[in-house]
Order: sequence, then C-alpha cells, then structure tokens
Amino acid sequence: MDRTRALLRKLAWSLFTILFVIILNFFLFRVLPGDPARAGIRDPRLKQDAIEVLRVRFGLDKPVINCFESLNPVKFGDCNVNPLDTQFFIYVRNLLQGELGISYHSNRPVTELLAERLWNTVLLIGAGQILAIIFGVTFGVFAAWRARTALDYGAVMASLVAWSLPTFWLGIILLFWGSGQGFPVAGKATPGASTLPLLQQWGDIARHMFLPTLTYTIVYMGEYTLIMRSSLVDVLSEDYILTAKAKGLSTFQILKDHAMKNAMLPLVTVIAINLGFTVAGAIQIEAVFSWPGLGSAIVDAVNRRDFPVLQGAFLLIAVAVIIANLLADLTYTLLDPRVTVE
Amino acid sequence: MKQRVLYTFVLAALLLAACGGGGGGGGGTVRIGWAGSPDTLNPGMAILVEAYTIFELVYDSMYELNMDGSFTLSLAESAEVSDDGTVWTFKIRDGITWHDGQPLTAEDVAYSYNLYKDTPEYPYMNGYYTPYFDTVEFNENNEVILTLTEAIPNIESQLVFLYVLPKHVWENENKIEYENFEMIGSGPFKMAEYVQNEFVRLESNKEHFSTPPKVDGVVFQTFANQDALVQAIRTGQVDMITEMPNTAAAALDEDPNIELVVGAPLAPGVTDIIFNQIDPENCPVDEGGLCTGHPALRDRDVRLAMSHATDKQQLIDVVLLGLGEPGLTLIPDGLGVWYNDSLVDYEFDVAKANQILDDAGYADTNGDGVREMPDGSQPLTFRLNWPSDSINAPRMAELLGQMWGQIGIALEPQAADPDALTAQCCPTFDFDIIIWGWASDPDPSALLYVYTTDSIPYGSSETGYSNPVYDDLYNQQQVELDFETRRDMVWEMQRIVFEDVVYIIPFYDANVQAFRTDRFTGWITDEAKVELSDVTSLVLLEPVE
Repeated sequence: MDRTRALLRKLAWSLFTILFVIILNFFLFRVLPGDPARAGIRDPRLKQDAIEVLRVRFGLDKPVINCFESLNPVKFGDCNVNPLDTQFFIYVRNLLQGELGISYHSNRPVTELLAERLWNTVLLIGAGQILAIIFGVTFGVFAAWRARTALDYGAVMASLVAWSLPTFWLGIILLFWGSGQGFPVAGKATPGASTLPLLQQWGDIARHMFLPTLTYTIVYMGEYTLIMRSSLVDVLSEDYILTAKAKGLSTFQILKDHAMKNAMLPLVTVIAINLGFTVAGAIQIEAVFSWPGLGSAIVDAVNRRDFPVLQGAFLLIAVAVIIANLLADLTYTLLDPRVTVE
Repeated sequence: MKQRVLYTFVLAALLLAACGGGGGGGGGTVRIGWAGSPDTLNPGMAILVEAYTIFELVYDSMYELNMDGSFTLSLAESAEVSDDGTVWTFKIRDGITWHDGQPLTAEDVAYSYNLYKDTPEYPYMNGYYTPYFDTVEFNENNEVILTLTEAIPNIESQLVFLYVLPKHVWENENKIEYENFEMIGSGPFKMAEYVQNEFVRLESNKEHFSTPPKVDGVVFQTFANQDALVQAIRTGQVDMITEMPNTAAAALDEDPNIELVVGAPLAPGVTDIIFNQIDPENCPVDEGGLCTGHPALRDRDVRLAMSHATDKQQLIDVVLLGLGEPGLTLIPDGLGVWYNDSLVDYEFDVAKANQILDDAGYADTNGDGVREMPDGSQPLTFRLNWPSDSINAPRMAELLGQMWGQIGIALEPQAADPDALTAQCCPTFDFDIIIWGWASDPDPSALLYVYTTDSIPYGSSETGYSNPVYDDLYNQQQVELDFETRRDMVWEMQRIVFEDVVYIIPFYDANVQAFRTDRFTGWITDEAKVELSDVTSLVLLEPVE
C-alpha cells in the first residue's frame, strides 16, 4: 500500500516537472533578442508587408502574455489584452491538443517533423548504447576479475582515454578513416536505396550507421567499463564471494550468479540517465555524420530561430529524461529488493 | 540467455553491414553533395536557394536565366509587348506535358501567376515579383495575356522565378500548407524521392521540349559537415560538391580525378563594411531609430581615408585564401552587364590616408595613438560589430583593426547574434561599423534600393545614406524601358555611391566548386558564371563510357 502511494507521489512529481518544463520552454526562447520572422532572411526582396504577413501567420503579432494582474505584483506583460489572445495561451492550448505548432522554417507541422527525426535518433543511439553496454560490461568484468594485472591497467587506461576523447574530434578522425574504407560519411541511406529489396535496404542503413555507431560506442564504452570494473572489484572483495570460491564454484558461476547482479546497480543508474539523453541525440555525432536525427534538428532550429521546433524538441527530451529516471528507480527495486521506493 | 540474444543481434547487424552493397543511384545518376537542403518544395513559400535549385530542375518558367546573365524564352515560343509596355502576350509552346502526362497550357501559366499574385503569405511574391501585375488571363490560342499596372524594364527577371505549376494539382490544395512532396512539374527532371534534410532524388525527363538531359538522373545529398563533403568527393561517394571550406581547395586541386572551378556564382553574394552615416535629421524615430553613430563617420574624408587604409588584397589572401575579387559597390561583378567595371578602386596607401585625416583636422592631440575629432570632443574609436554566425568576419575584424590602427583609428570589436545585430542595425542605427553581406538577384534593383532614402525607415538601408540625385536615378531606372539607357543609369548610380564612399566593399566571394572527372563529362567551366548544379550544366552532362 505504502509502495503504491510512493509510486504515485513519484509520478506526480514527474508530471509537475514536465509542467514546469512546458512553461520554461515558452519563455526561454522569447527572452532572446530579435525577431524570428526576420531571422535568417536578410534579403532586399523581402518587403516589410511580407514580414508582417509572416508574423500574423505564426501568431507573432499577438502579445506574448497577459500581465496576470492578480498573480503578478510587478505587472510584466500587457494588461490591456485578452488573456485568451496571447501567444502563451495559444501555446498551452495547442499543446494540450497535441499540437506543437508549425515550423517557421519548413512550414511543416512540428509533430510530424520530430517524429521522423526521433526514430532515426533512437535507431542510432539505441544501437550505440547496446554495443557500448555489451562491450563495456565485458571489458569491465575482465578488468575486475584480473584486477591489478597488465590487462586491468590496459583496460582502465584505454577506457579513460576513450571516455575523455572529444566526441566530435573522434567522429572526424573516424570519418576520415572510414571514408577510405568505403563507409558512407553522411546520411542514413543511399539516395535511391528505397527501390532495392528490403534486405539490401537494411544493409545500406547498417553501412551508414557503422561510423556514427562506432563513435558513439567508443565514447560510452569507456564510461561503462570503468564503472563496471570498480563496482565489481568492490563486490569481489566481499566475504560471500570467498564463500562461493570455497564451495568450489567456477569463475563463470561466481561472476554470473553472485557478483554481477550486485555490481550492476551503479551501472543501471548511469545507463538509465544516458538513455534519457539518448533522445537529445548525441548532437555532435549527428552533426559530424549528417545523421538526420533529433540532434541535427535542434542544431538547425537554433540557427534558424525555429522556436516551435526547439520547444517541441526540448519538451521531448525533458519527458524522456524524466521517464528514464523513473524507470531507473523502478529497475533498482527489481535488481535489489532491499532498495525500496521511499 | 538474454545476453546471447543481444550478441546474435549484433552479429546479424555486422553481417548485414558487410554484405550490403551500396545500392541505388546507378551508373548514369549524378550525385551532388551540398551543405544545405530545401526549406520547402512549395515554390510560393520557399526562401532558401537550395529550394530554387530544385525548382529550376523540376519546373519550367517563362524565361530561363543563362550563365552569362542574359535571358531566353523557355515555356513561350514568342513574347509581344504593347506599345505602352503594359500588356505582354506570351504564346505558350504547344504539346508540352506535365510529368503526370497531362498537357501544360496557357491556363496553367495564368493560374500560377494569379496564385502568386493573390497569396500574400508568399514572402517574395507580392512585394517583389508581382507588384506590377494587374491581371493575368489566357485565351484559346494558348496565349497568356499579362497586363501590368505600369511598364517595367525587367519583365524577364520578374518572371524567371515564377515557376509554372499544374492547375489540376494545385487547385485542390491549401496554397500555403501544401508541402508539394510529389512535385508534379514539366522541367527536365522529375521528382522521384524526397527525404527532407537528407536528399532529393530526381529522374530525367527525356521528353523535355527543349533540354532533355543525357544522364539518368540527379541526386542532391545533404552534408551537415563540410569536411565530410570534401571527404565524400575524394572517395567518390559524390560526383560534385557545390561548396567547400576554402582551406580544402588546395588539397582537392592536387587530386588527379577532381577538378576545381572558381568563379562568380549565379546568385552572387557580397560582403560589405557598413558605415552608420545617417543624418540625425533623417533618423527614423517612429520606427525605433536611435541614431547613435559616431559623428566622424558622417564625414566623407574619414570614410575615404579608411578606404585608402584598407588592403583588400590582404583581406582576400588571408580571409578567403585568395578565392575572391576586390569589390567596389554593392553591385557585384557577378551581375555581368549591370556591374560598373569602369570604376577604379581607391589605392591602398596608408600615407595618403593619414594625409587626408591630417588635412581634415583629425589630429592625435593627446598622443595616445588615436586621433580625435577636429573639435577635440571625442576620439576616433568606433564600435565594430559582425554577426556571430559569420566565419570570415572575426579574422576580417582583426585585420581591419591593424590596418586602420595605422591611421590613428581604434576599434572596439564585438560579435553579435544575427538577430540582435538586426535589431541594432536597421532602422535603429545604433552602431558605428558592421561587417555583413547581401545576397543578390539577377536584376540590380533590389541591391540599388538599399542605398535609397526611401529604404531608411524600412530597415533595408543599413548606412542611412541619403542623396536626392541618387534617389531620382533609382526611380527613373525602375521604369526605363530602354536597356542601354537603364544600364547607363545603373552605372552612374554605382559611380555616385562609390565616390561618396557609402560602404567599403572588401570583396566579392567566389564560388568554389569541385567535380570528379572519372564518371561524367561535359561540365561547363568556362562561362561567366559557374554553377555546376544549375540546370544549364546538368542537362549537358554525359556519363563516361
């Protein structure tokens, strides 16, 4: 019973956080100086009237917010407007209807645009995470089992180097190397590949994914190896491991049944948090490899003052991080029954 | 068990990666790499030049812009104009079909022009391309009758970007929200596949009435990273790139399979050094004008001295690695006949510059190395701003600081967010000097307008320059129908603003493009303008046997 209530409280907090993000999101972009209707279009062919029409179309002619007289002693905002006719109200109303608005730049609905990008990012980062977890855990276990040997030192050194490499730098080095090996350096698929049989299409995407995924894997693998190793080294010094050894269990059995489960806890936290940021789409990797994901959408939107896209993307990321954290909490209790949701 | 599933997945992915064989874009398809991508395929709503590149290939319009800057009729076989210059009759060629097989007639042309004219949401149309359109009609002789509110000299450049759209498709759509992904056109290439921000794949329209392509198709692929673009052409992943960092030019030039083309672009750009010289009497206070410019910049002598102290060749060599030409006025050399090439630039001569300032009474009275105003009120210390997204400007600012430092002028350099800079610039005039730039149209009117007094409150004027003689000429050339006379006016206007030193134009950027020689032949490289991705070039390419 207590557990259910705790869970509900956690959910409520998550919802509250999302609500906060929604409000912050709106004002964050509007405190920037300048005018999105004018941004990026510096062209004598664009006349003043045309800019006015653009403003009306995007609702930028409306006041940002009503002053909310009763709530707000400083009275910022315009007190003489109908609160229902402000950019803020329209933003919230559209959001409740699942509308994220229209991209200033491409004239397309933001929901549609982000959905395309989201899938690409999940694909890339998903593959990268899985590989990073597999290799990171494997190396971490080897290093811990052979702690304080040459293998351990080598693994720790290599992981530290990998973890501290600037992502874009590693990406560019791999891009130069990979293009010589015949790997595509940009995009998700070869133009025209959609006319090929399905299996070949997947092969094409896999080839395009190779370099960005490799970059991602190397960077995150280092982190996971280090955490796994130090956590496992701790566990392996426990008495019950000695007992297990005394019972005559094999190395594999000790690791698998006795050590790993306990050692996984810190790693799960880090993985869950990373997964949340997955949606942000390792912006640098997407920029280096022209990967059409959420990260490059954010970069483009920033450059073009495309507020609706930015608002949508930030909201998506915030929700993903919050959900990932929630899941991490829940996984904890599954892995270790001693941990309870307080 | 779970882990084994994962390993199997990874193995399968690696196997797929190993056996996947590229695919798509077969032998006769030209693969072009570029850094941008169209903003929208709706020709009314589009703003980016990448969108216009695709429109040129997929649509036809009344005129075609040639590489030398001239125009030829395209959809029409003849054009006649009434004696007073207000009624144009275009006879549309018979037998043209849309990519979906329907016939293209004068009705489609009239429909398209009316669509552009009557949709105020289309950013460039009402204000710039169709403001003189009164009515557009068609008749049973396959003729389009365009009646203008007044005679204009540049009907070709007004019509060249008004792409003709199929009425049977567009009449059923929302003109503003229509994304036009299927893009039924009549041009030399057909839309085959479009993935926004990834690629545009076009197939050839071998039945095109005037310029059927010899290749099978064209692919434009978006590269978010310019190093990847260079690497892609080196390794043969693309056949041509439309832009590159200038630093890569030397390395690509050494590759035996790659050829580099440097030249004036079809849509030329210009980099300008803007002096705030607005007369306080002209300050557009109603539009938020603050007019805080340094008074010395209103003195032609100061601007002239700064011109003499500006080593443009050094700027080009350092900033552009030599890939550019010294500039004169906002009208770039890429505009061909409209460019006044008879003007002789102010020579780089620091001693002369110092002499001019000495004679005008700007002396360094307190010995700090910076001159003061003749009345001693304030030093010649100017704020210098540039948009933070400019790659070239920071280096330029540094060099200008050194160059102008030699004549006792100090700078306070500061990058600014492009939006903030717009707010600071025009019509606020809250700055001293800005490094910025313009994009140009094939017709000089748009850029000439920037110098007019009329444009000050609208934010197009960046300098606040005002000269009644110039304003008169501007209005006259707008309606002058004789080409030679209009050109003389345009040249005279350039002379006036050059002699008044309204701007310093450090350089006109050159387009640096590269193509591979091992897959296609027939690239146009010797024209006045170079645009390898232009339809004129692409229809001539042939696969290497």
